[in-house]
Amino acid sequence: MLILKLIQQLIKTLNSDGTPGQVAFGMALGAALGLTPLMNLHNLLIVAFAMVLNVSMPGFFLGWALFIPLGFALDPAFDALGRALLLGTPALTAMWTAWYNTPVVPLSNFNNTVVLGSFVAWLASFIPLYFVLRWAVGRYRADVYERLKSTKVFRAIGASKVYNVYRLFRPE
Amino acid sequence: MRLIRWKAFIPLTLLLVLLVIGWIVFADTLVRRTVESFGTEIVGAKVELQRARVHLASGSVVLTGLQVTDPGAPMRNLVEAGEVVAAIAALPLLEKKLVIDSLALRGVRFGTPRTTSGAIPAQKSALTPALKRVTDWAAQIPLPSFSLEGLSGVVDISALSLDSLRSLTAARGIVTGADSSRQAWEAELRALDPRPQIDSAQALINRLKGVDVRQLGVQGMAEQVRTARATADNLKKSVDRVKALEGKVKGGVAELQARATTGLALARAQDYAYARGLVNLPSLDAPDISPALFGQMGLDRIKGLLYWISVAEEYLPPGLDPRRQTGPDRARAPGLTIEFPSQHAYPQFLLRFADADFSLGGENAAAGEYQAKVAGVTTQPALYGRPMQLVAQKTAGRVGPETVRVAAVLDHTRLPLKDSIGGYLSGLPLPTVTLAPLGARAALGRGVTSLSLVRVGEVLEARWYVKTAQPVWERMVGGTRGVVGDMLWGAVSKMKEIEVETQVRGTLAHPSLSVKSNVGTEIARALKQEVGAQVAKAEQLVRAKVDSVVDERVAEAKTRVDGVKTQVQAKIEEQRVELERVKAELEQKIKDLTPRLPGGIRLPGQD
Repeated sequence: MLILKLIQQLIKTLNSDGTPGQVAFGMALGAALGLTPLMNLHNLLIVAFAMVLNVSMPGFFLGWALFIPLGFALDPAFDALGRALLLGTPALTAMWTAWYNTPVVPLSNFNNTVVLGSFVAWLASFIPLYFVLRWAVGRYRADVYERLKSTKVFRAIGASKVYNVYRLFRPE
Repeated sequence: MRLIRWKAFIPLTLLLVLLVIGWIVFADTLVRRTVESFGTEIVGAKVELQRARVHLASGSVVLTGLQVTDPGAPMRNLVEAGEVVAAIAALPLLEKKLVIDSLALRGVRFGTPRTTSGAIPAQKSALTPALKRVTDWAAQIPLPSFSLEGLSGVVDISALSLDSLRSLTAARGIVTGADSSRQAWEAELRALDPRPQIDSAQALINRLKGVDVRQLGVQGMAEQVRTARATADNLKKSVDRVKALEGKVKGGVAELQARATTGLALARAQDYAYARGLVNLPSLDAPDISPALFGQMGLDRIKGLLYWISVAEEYLPPGLDPRRQTGPDRARAPGLTIEFPSQHAYPQFLLRFADADFSLGGENAAAGEYQAKVAGVTTQPALYGRPMQLVAQKTAGRVGPETVRVAAVLDHTRLPLKDSIGGYLSGLPLPTVTLAPLGARAALGRGVTSLSLVRVGEVLEARWYVKTAQPVWERMVGGTRGVVGDMLWGAVSKMKEIEVETQVRGTLAHPSLSVKSNVGTEIARALKQEVGAQVAKAEQLVRAKVDSVVDERVAEAKTRVDGVKTQVQAKIEEQRVELERVKAELEQKIKDLTPRLPGGIRLPGQD
């Protein structure tokens, strides 16, 4: 049921909610929640951004869901990147020390290797990710959807009685 | 299309309000769990809290029903506090730092029984390394054994294992070392080979002897002097090289000789002790008997103190370098969390002052009012700049003139670490001591005991002292009987005073233990009187057996070292003397050839 719901959401998100740019932007923002450890201050800010900016919320949740496994798989790489930044780059130590002793900033857990490594990786990949996703959504709508929509499986999924709560945050 | 979704501000605000409400509702639980988790990690056993209340407005936290399990006895609490009130500075919390301005503990009790075990899985304790370090440290201190079994039978040393004799291993090592050193030094001497140089210089000296100064003229004379001087310089360099080799060989030979004398003597003494242990022959010296009887007991007390010093070292490290620790326990990888302390900033944790007044109930000697004060507990002592101090004492007793005083100063503000801990108790009941080798136990009654430890860097000095004038002796069922057993029981059971002093000194890597006790002295005296001759004879047999096995090897090792000295060292010395002789002769010849002319005129090449 959960998988069915996910597939349905995937189809509807990719197909109908907003422009490819809005969906891609939402997915790129949602990727942060999937790639970085969830319970951190920066993710609260990203959720706020996603809500306030006119991006696709289903896209946001889809991005989150899709990037969770990737986040787990890339943890060792994030850890290595975080170590390199926090411990292996003496030029940055003064900055980390200043941040660490500045009110509120330490609450972000930036001084954790996995948190910093995954956040930096997400930030660095944000713009390329946005363009790749925008292109992919466009291609999907133009080619794949047209071919799939007439298949039996596709119609069955589309007809299943799963909720459409995501419409609350449809892009305007 | 608008960039901002204005209607989202309402749910966003609702979300933030929900988060704040969630914090208010769950703050108490969060604090309780944090205290339990962090406390358990520090203590190495369960720390439990009944309830925590956070008062954000007044900046205080009240903890109720705190139980700290004794890591050495999981069914007992090390300490239990009815209420703990902490005044917390709010600003550092924004930096994820905890600064407690004051802490007051009420209803404190010690050693209370637990209903459930407070043990935690060994791998979960962050202090396992500290515990292991201290256990390993204690294990390296040798404790002599004391047994009377060897006095009752025939001395049979057939179990002597050649592989266990240190003298043989040491002698083999010396022989190998002497051979390899000799080969290396001889090779070096061959590489230097001063003989051609000596011969050439000698030929030059002979040639200069037949030189006619008038025939050579000034230029010719100057040429001869230059040649001679160059040869003399080369000779000097050779002398220096040979001297360097000679110094190296002398040092090496001295080291081999030291190993062959002192080292082998020490190894042989250890072999005697090993062989004596095989036949359970007791030592009759008090300095050996006392450690065998009381060493473990004293070491256990000192070990306990060292454990807490180790814990302090772990959590109160010096310096301001970035510190790393494993990240939080979560579904994702924990990673490393790195702290970046900075001068003029708050430390990660600071307890400025803590005060505890507590009373121990009952009518026993420990009952009474106590007071404890702690200041400057911080995870970054270098930032706080002052040592941690602790003072605890009994302020009023209910029975007798008991004194309880504990003081500690841990200075981790800079290297070397300076720790000083001391405790003094008088008039309190002391434990019962079991002296298994004697088949007796002594209830020490009331007395004086003190435990102290001073550590500066790697150097350590610890002392445990007990004195009582009320011992009650009891003979254990199944204890040592027979003539010797009865005699020893007779000797110790008359003792009206027991005094034991255990000291551990030296470095953390190489500690040494000494125990002094009037019980050991008394036993040694009684044993010498009764079985001294018998033990001496048995010991002679043991030594003879060891000597018969190791003498040949030891002699071979000494001969080999002497061989190196006579063959290599003497050869080098001979070469050096020859070089110096030729050099001196040549220099004299140069002087003879270069007399100063009238009026201070010098020949070319003349100094």
